[in-house]
Amino acid sequence: MAGGAGLTSAPPLDRGIPDFLERPGPSPVHRLNPLTKATLATVTAVAAVALGGLVGPVVLVLVAVILPAAAAGVLGRLIRTSLLLALPIAVSAFLVNLFFFPDGRTVLVEVGPITATAEGFGFALEILARILAISGAVTLFYLTTRPAALVIDLERRGVSPRVGFVANASVQTVPAMVERAAQITAAQRARGLDTEGSVWRRIRGIVPIVGPVILGSIAEVEERTMALEARGFTRPGRRTLLWTPSDTTFERILRWGLVAALVGLIAVRVTGVLR
Amino acid sequence: MADLRVERLVHVYRESGVRALDGIDLEIRAGERVALVGQNGSGKTTLVRHLNGLLRPTEGRVLVDGHDAGSMTVAQLAARIGLVFQDPDRQIFAGSVRAEVEFGPRNLGRSGAELSAAVADALAATGLEGETATNPYDLGGSRRKLLALASVLAMRTPVLVLDEPTTGQDARGVERVRAVIEAAAAAGRTVVAISHDMRFVAEAFERVVVMRGGRVVLDGSPSDVFAEASWDALRSTYLEPPLASRIGGRLGLGSTPTDAALIARLREGAEGPAS
Repeated sequence: MAGGAGLTSAPPLDRGIPDFLERPGPSPVHRLNPLTKATLATVTAVAAVALGGLVGPVVLVLVAVILPAAAAGVLGRLIRTSLLLALPIAVSAFLVNLFFFPDGRTVLVEVGPITATAEGFGFALEILARILAISGAVTLFYLTTRPAALVIDLERRGVSPRVGFVANASVQTVPAMVERAAQITAAQRARGLDTEGSVWRRIRGIVPIVGPVILGSIAEVEERTMALEARGFTRPGRRTLLWTPSDTTFERILRWGLVAALVGLIAVRVTGVLR
Repeated sequence: MADLRVERLVHVYRESGVRALDGIDLEIRAGERVALVGQNGSGKTTLVRHLNGLLRPTEGRVLVDGHDAGSMTVAQLAARIGLVFQDPDRQIFAGSVRAEVEFGPRNLGRSGAELSAAVADALAATGLEGETATNPYDLGGSRRKLLALASVLAMRTPVLVLDEPTTGQDARGVERVRAVIEAAAAAGRTVVAISHDMRFVAEAFERVVVMRGGRVVLDGSPSDVFAEASWDALRSTYLEPPLASRIGGRLGLGSTPTDAALIARLREGAEGPAS
């Protein structure tokens, strides 16, 4: 019984730009040069530590993280991701400083042998503000920058393609490994591995799932390395870049300005002018 | 022995919204050898993953021996439907060939002489009997693929489902896979295989189901499906009939899906009609 449907043809490309080239980002923040965003993230993170106190990092978070994230339309994702990223270290740092701050005098609460002090609480809030500033800055960069764009931009500026490839591959490996793990789980379940039963059964299932993920990744690294070598990846000299992210005079001035401001801030802190 | 029945099966991938199966109706009787063919993305792999519960229907249902597969866990279905995945490296984890082959039957609760016999038979069928202590990663790619087949054969399931069993196999490997299928069918097991190798399909299966866009467009014996009258429908799925079929068709010899059928027709023609 032959089907009646005729020959199907490939759908037309919806845009004139091929998939492997960068498309303009959806917001001005997305469209900033990747190095500008990397500089902003680095300066924000280091400045939060250098500034210390509570007000400085909080203002930094508002100006350099929350406002740009809102402008880029990623505020919700930024809050979720950066909280997830910072939560384990933030909670432990908060509790340690709250209960074990060495100069704590004013007792707030006593829980058995440990005491929460007002001084410890204040310092814990300061630490929390710094951690949130760092995680927020890193997350904003991650949410608004394609790793490939950063790699290409760095390569254009003379950074070794190897460095760029390692950075890009590290980020791209995560979704690939998640996909691989899903395939492996399906294959092992098809051989009767019970991943839906008791906790003990699930623990027994870890090795058959994690084993192929790791072994396969190692084998893949070897194959990928050889494939890269075979296509002249380690050849010395400049490469032809089909596309590079835009960069403007304003952004160059902004980057140098941010770096200068950070150097100035650190100098002021080291010399003790700002207390 | 197990009958499989697929009723108005629809599958829509939630993440992408792709309608991979669009109302499939299919009945496979116990002991049948059925090949599923079609272009990439036609829904073949999605369909076989429904047979052992790795995917659950968006609409419709799958019946295994009259029982709704939706009411059984994958682990329960694994005792009846053995699914061999296309990529062996996405399932191999054990340190030796024997341990890898033992994994499935042990999950099904087999032990002692029954387990030893199942493993020995599976290794002999796939030509790996001399490799029991070998680390699977020391085997070549084609033999790792045979190992994946052995690991499911050893489960002695009434239904054997193979995803691209001949990919990466040389002529000897293809012949071995074909022998495994014939032996399984001779033992009363149902065999369902996905393949792009039309010669293998014509020679090893008694029924061919052609899929396109999540639907069945042709369903019949190799002689019917590869007959000249079906070539247009086949080509609409980007499949070429086997060479023997094309030669037989061009010479006006009728449907000759296999080399043996073509040679027989040519001999008949050379000897002329019996007087």
